[in-house]
Amino acid sequence: MENILNAAEIFDYLGKTNILMAFCGRFDHTMNTSLLLNSKLELDQVGEAFGVNKKVYNVMVESVENVTRYAAHGNKNDIKSMLLLCKTENSYKIITCNAILNKDVIPLKDRLDTVIKLRKEELKANYREQILAERISENAAGLGIIDIALKTDNKIQYHFKDYSENTSLYFFQAEINI
Amino acid sequence: MNQLIINSTADSPEVNFDLKSRIFTIGGESRPENAGTFYKPIIHYISNLSFELALTNNETTNSLPLNFIFKYAYFNSTSAKYIADIFKNISELIEKGNVVNIDWYYDKRDEDMLDAGTEFSELFNLKIQLLEY
Repeated sequence: MENILNAAEIFDYLGKTNILMAFCGRFDHTMNTSLLLNSKLELDQVGEAFGVNKKVYNVMVESVENVTRYAAHGNKNDIKSMLLLCKTENSYKIITCNAILNKDVIPLKDRLDTVIKLRKEELKANYREQILAERISENAAGLGIIDIALKTDNKIQYHFKDYSENTSLYFFQAEINI
Repeated sequence: MNQLIINSTADSPEVNFDLKSRIFTIGGESRPENAGTFYKPIIHYISNLSFELALTNNETTNSLPLNFIFKYAYFNSTSAKYIADIFKNISELIEKGNVVNIDWYYDKRDEDMLDAGTEFSELFNLKIQLLEY
């Protein structure tokens, strides 16, 4: 009985807070495809302008791929990740949460702080530099955060929260104006 | 090496490269699970074009342009780097004396895709025709 009542509270909360989509679990390519298709359907239903839809989709792709690529899963593979797609009166917000190893917190924070300070022209220059640079990985270009920053006019925020001895939770939010 | 044909999927574009017709088309959505595995054969094909053209040893046909047609609906940042590699190889084809046409199609509502075509044109100093649909 308790679980049903909890579920009802969660359902009400999602409705009141304009959350269009919410997923908590393990991210992989197949799940990402399903989530992205669902997001397309949600945005089509809202009847949003093409340009906004495209930017939201773009940011969602980069966000879920970052979670898939970099999330720490814990010793028992028990740490879940989360995606929220929210709509406010003036914007869409894409929020992800995943665990990361504590040793990776500072490098990631430094990277985010560097990107957040950049103006649009600096972001574009950074993007160009990265796209021409030698490849560091077959399946990651190091462009994801810059791409998100460009698509959102650098409306990105982040937060770290202690989780375990070896891991922290990394919350990331990107906002697209309607 | 004559044709390279790859059917599109939910997360990867259609590829239709035909040396005989000299038309090389790639289009659709690009966010493959393994971008390296997907794009390496494409880049390998393009990088080998000069060699293949030299093998045909036909001055008349070899002076005909090579037509590259891009019609992406979407590509992620990992794909962007491989697309940059494609343009790098196209630049090398031009440096080796081949005549090349490049068409970059974009949905007329899609400013980002138009910007991307412009960006690649500037990055690699290539003449790219930007065509809306």
